[in-house]
Amino acid sequence: MKIIFRFLLEKLLNENTVYAHCDIPCGIYDPHQAQLAAHTIIRMTSLIHEMKADINAPFEQRKKIIHDISRMTKVKEKHSDILEEEMNTLRNDYFKEEHFKEYANLQELFAKALKSSAKARQEIDMEAAQDALVKVQEIAEIFFKTKGVEPVRVKTVYPTGGEIVLHK
Amino acid sequence: MLLLRKFRVHGHSMEPIIGNDKLILVSKIPYLFSRPKVKDVIAFKNGKEVLVKRIIKISAGNYKVEGDNLKDSLDSRSFGSVSKTDILGKVIYIF
Repeated sequence: MKIIFRFLLEKLLNENTVYAHCDIPCGIYDPHQAQLAAHTIIRMTSLIHEMKADINAPFEQRKKIIHDISRMTKVKEKHSDILEEEMNTLRNDYFKEEHFKEYANLQELFAKALKSSAKARQEIDMEAAQDALVKVQEIAEIFFKTKGVEPVRVKTVYPTGGEIVLHK
Repeated sequence: MLLLRKFRVHGHSMEPIIGNDKLILVSKIPYLFSRPKVKDVIAFKNGKEVLVKRIIKISAGNYKVEGDNLKDSLDSRSFGSVSKTDILGKVIYIF
């Protein structure tokens, strides 16, 4: 009965938007943190891939490998959290309906960034980690455009190489 | 007058009872027979937007509202009280 009631409500009524706004509206938003998090996820994924396991290695050596992988995984997990939180803040608090109308792919970019971040968190997946960064960078470019400044891609000095989106 | 409306929530200020992206039903019917009460969760107009918050105090027909997630909520602490005419209804169901 509850399922039927819920189904009818979901299908019969038009959906509107209501805001449970967060934060005092300080107006301070920046996609920088999400980009750093995406680079960190790539770096941790790469380091985990580089670990070599030797089944005949002494116990102390194997113990250290397990320990190091645990720490890298923890950092990867933490930065997926940061990326997802930063993305949700931009999507829910900064970007408005007119932005989503002007940039028709923006919602899809958010969905893909979050999906790739989740996959990079769950697995040791360099492709997903790279994709999360690509999507975050595209969102960063849109963000700066909505601020009326020109986005620029700058080569990073991180071990991950690649770029980071800033503005002129 | 819309007696029953469905909204999708954007934001985290009503967590944990209403999380981001949840669907809620808002009805005007409860307020046809009685006034909004403290602890009611309501939807109301705030400029061009519709917000969802909890009534925490009523004085002289004005309603002070706050998000349940006090550490992370934009509410009467910033924009002041809400008048009864801006209240669209009570949250009666969270999907």
